[in-house]
Amino acid sequence: MATGPGAMLNRLGLRLRVFLFFAALALGSLSAIAAGLWLGYGQAADGDLLSGFVTAGLIGGFITLGIAAWVWFLFDEHVARATERLAASLRAEAHAGLDGRTDTDLARYLGDLAPAARAISGRLSETRDALAEAVQRETTRLAEEKARLETLLSDVPVGVLLCSGDHQLVFYNGPATELLGAAQVPGLDRPIFDYLRDAPLRHAHERLWSAGDAEAVSDLLVATVAGARMLSGRMRLLDGDGAGYVLTLRDVTDDLAAHAGRDRLLEEIFDKIRRPAANLLTVIGVLDEAPDDPALTGALVGEVGQLAKTVTELGQRYDQARAGWWPLPMTRGADLLDGLRARMEAQGLQVTTEGDDLILRCDGFEIVALLAGLAERVAGKGLTRDFNVRLAEDGAGAVIDIGWRGAAVPVGTLDGWLDAPFDVGAADVTGKTVLAIHATECWPQMRDGMAILRLPIREARRAARRPQAVARRVVYDFDLLFKARAEGLAETALEDLTYVVFDTETTGLLPSDGDEIVQIAGIRIVNGRKVQGEVFDTLVNPGRPIPPRSTDVHGISDAMVADAPPIEEAGRQFHKFAEGAVLIAHNAPFDMAFLRRHEAGIGKAFDNPILDTVLLSAVVYGQGESHSLDSLTARLCITIPEEVRHTALGDTEATADAFLKLLPMLKGRGVRTFGDVLTEVRRHGRLLKDLNA
Amino acid sequence: MEKPKLRHRVLIVEDEDNIALALDYVLTREGYAHERVANGADAMPRIRDSAPDLVLLDVMLPEVSGYEICQTVRMDPALKDVKILMMTARGSAMERRKGLALGADGFIAKPFELKELREEVRRLLDGDGAGGNA
Repeated sequence: MATGPGAMLNRLGLRLRVFLFFAALALGSLSAIAAGLWLGYGQAADGDLLSGFVTAGLIGGFITLGIAAWVWFLFDEHVARATERLAASLRAEAHAGLDGRTDTDLARYLGDLAPAARAISGRLSETRDALAEAVQRETTRLAEEKARLETLLSDVPVGVLLCSGDHQLVFYNGPATELLGAAQVPGLDRPIFDYLRDAPLRHAHERLWSAGDAEAVSDLLVATVAGARMLSGRMRLLDGDGAGYVLTLRDVTDDLAAHAGRDRLLEEIFDKIRRPAANLLTVIGVLDEAPDDPALTGALVGEVGQLAKTVTELGQRYDQARAGWWPLPMTRGADLLDGLRARMEAQGLQVTTEGDDLILRCDGFEIVALLAGLAERVAGKGLTRDFNVRLAEDGAGAVIDIGWRGAAVPVGTLDGWLDAPFDVGAADVTGKTVLAIHATECWPQMRDGMAILRLPIREARRAARRPQAVARRVVYDFDLLFKARAEGLAETALEDLTYVVFDTETTGLLPSDGDEIVQIAGIRIVNGRKVQGEVFDTLVNPGRPIPPRSTDVHGISDAMVADAPPIEEAGRQFHKFAEGAVLIAHNAPFDMAFLRRHEAGIGKAFDNPILDTVLLSAVVYGQGESHSLDSLTARLCITIPEEVRHTALGDTEATADAFLKLLPMLKGRGVRTFGDVLTEVRRHGRLLKDLNA
Repeated sequence: MEKPKLRHRVLIVEDEDNIALALDYVLTREGYAHERVANGADAMPRIRDSAPDLVLLDVMLPEVSGYEICQTVRMDPALKDVKILMMTARGSAMERRKGLALGADGFIAKPFELKELREEVRRLLDGDGAGGNA
């Protein structure tokens, strides 16, 4: 049990304590005046009346001042600050949902206020828990359905985009990310025209809008902004008044290039043959009249030679180019062998397969149909029913051998089989058609004492060298379809802004002394939510050694950044990632100083609006609190896993989470727009510089 | 020009009369004994009868293709010493592979330079030259 004057005071009521404070203040003041007068009277008795009054006034005044300062200190510490802390704590509970955080010890001198507040927050917490439990059940069910739909959508092999009526991105899937260009990661709530040329999209949108038919679709051909790809697309308007639309896209760059190449070759053939053919006819016509003229004979020889040379050259080009004219997918060799084996076994044939793990450029279905058909004919001829199929690497391509122990197939017989139609699901397709599409041949030969039919495939690669898998994640926020847009930044509601929260790791703390960035990470927040899948995270080669003491902090060593891009390139990529967004950092002047000194090399200015979570914390919690990232996240119940603390992405995640929890607390204080928040943070200029000059 | 020490016998299997005429001219100048058949069906009996040292074999022949003739020759042990030089107006890399896989000793694309033809024939019959087209 606590004893002493403090404990005794705590037992008194708040009103009695306030009365005692003021009684003490009054008594103290009276005592000070009495003491001053008594000492002044002593001096006045010695005949120095003026000195007596001055002494009395000074002593009385200073003692009164001291008592007033002491009372102010006690009120500031135990009433004003305690009220501020209690209010901030209540706001955190009310707006950020931080249950059970009201600390009654913060306001122990405020009488029953703290216990009363705790009781309210307790009830709030219970109600919230009950509600959350009910919501959780329904949310789990919906989340499962949502996950299934996301999987379905992410597996659609074409690029699918959904845009709002003002052409902002609302949804995109993994293939769309690939189509829009790897150098420009798409971002929600960004204009689609950042990635695709605008005219075809606007025209299609206007056509559909004016048609007024909900079922209408518009086909279009559109190039990427960089011009590297041509995409074939189909647009359909969404139901509702927003005139948002769905856009499906397919890359037809190679198809168009093949068409263009074919057209060019055809044009060239006529152009190059027409002239010598006409010349030949002319010379032959004259030769009738002067058959012995050596000049005419020479002309004839020259023209024939030229014509033959041209035809040969064009023929070679045709042979080289025709393989690329038919769009062939990359097919896994193992799948092809498996399909062939299944088909041959279904025909009652024995088959063993062997082969390298290859990816082949071919139409797997047609090749399987062709080879199975050939095997069936070999068996039908009575040569064997027991086959071995081998797939092997062969230069830049591969060969598929169907082998057997027995007599070889005569070429003439094989040619006859290849001239007959094959069952590949399309009419009039012969084996030779399949061979022509793949720009290859098929022939019999002997290999290791076996008769084989060999089919070369022109392009193949080892399966281990496969390119990076296409990201299959879908990214969306359908609320963006109905988002109202404010005229100016200052008037825009905080939750309507797009943010990029970022953090950097550096070689040291002083950019002016040559310290540099070694890592940048960023997360986009759109419509008040972190966008999963829109994350920027890159190491940066600082062009100088990283001091061991810095490596100890962030764990990034010289070896790790040896192959990383320099700040000029990484900064350009980050600038693109953050384009059009409000930048948020914890202690933004530090990170911005590192970025801005490289603006010339990057070729871009970081002129985005900037918010600083240090200043936002000061707005919400007052300047008396600590605003370090650790303190702020601890207050907001955000846990930063130790392994990611002081990594750029880990700190960025923590800062983003802190910002998202501060947002409703700011709103609760009446700070609703970007303009409001600027006004508030500028009051804390003493704490940190506001960068929105 | 030095003539071959032995009179090698060459069979031309070619349906195009003009090409056959040119080949006749070259082989005569080179001093080879030669004769011609103009279609694939007549080629094999003639090859079996005469067992020439070299067959100049067109790929695209009426009735029986040059590839088929090549394969038939290679499957006959009695004809193992017969050299085959295939000729084609197309000459894609894949056709060349096919011809060589079927047992041709050389492959030459039409139109060819006479010098190129002479060198290829000499390489096959006399072992001259740096190598064939394989």
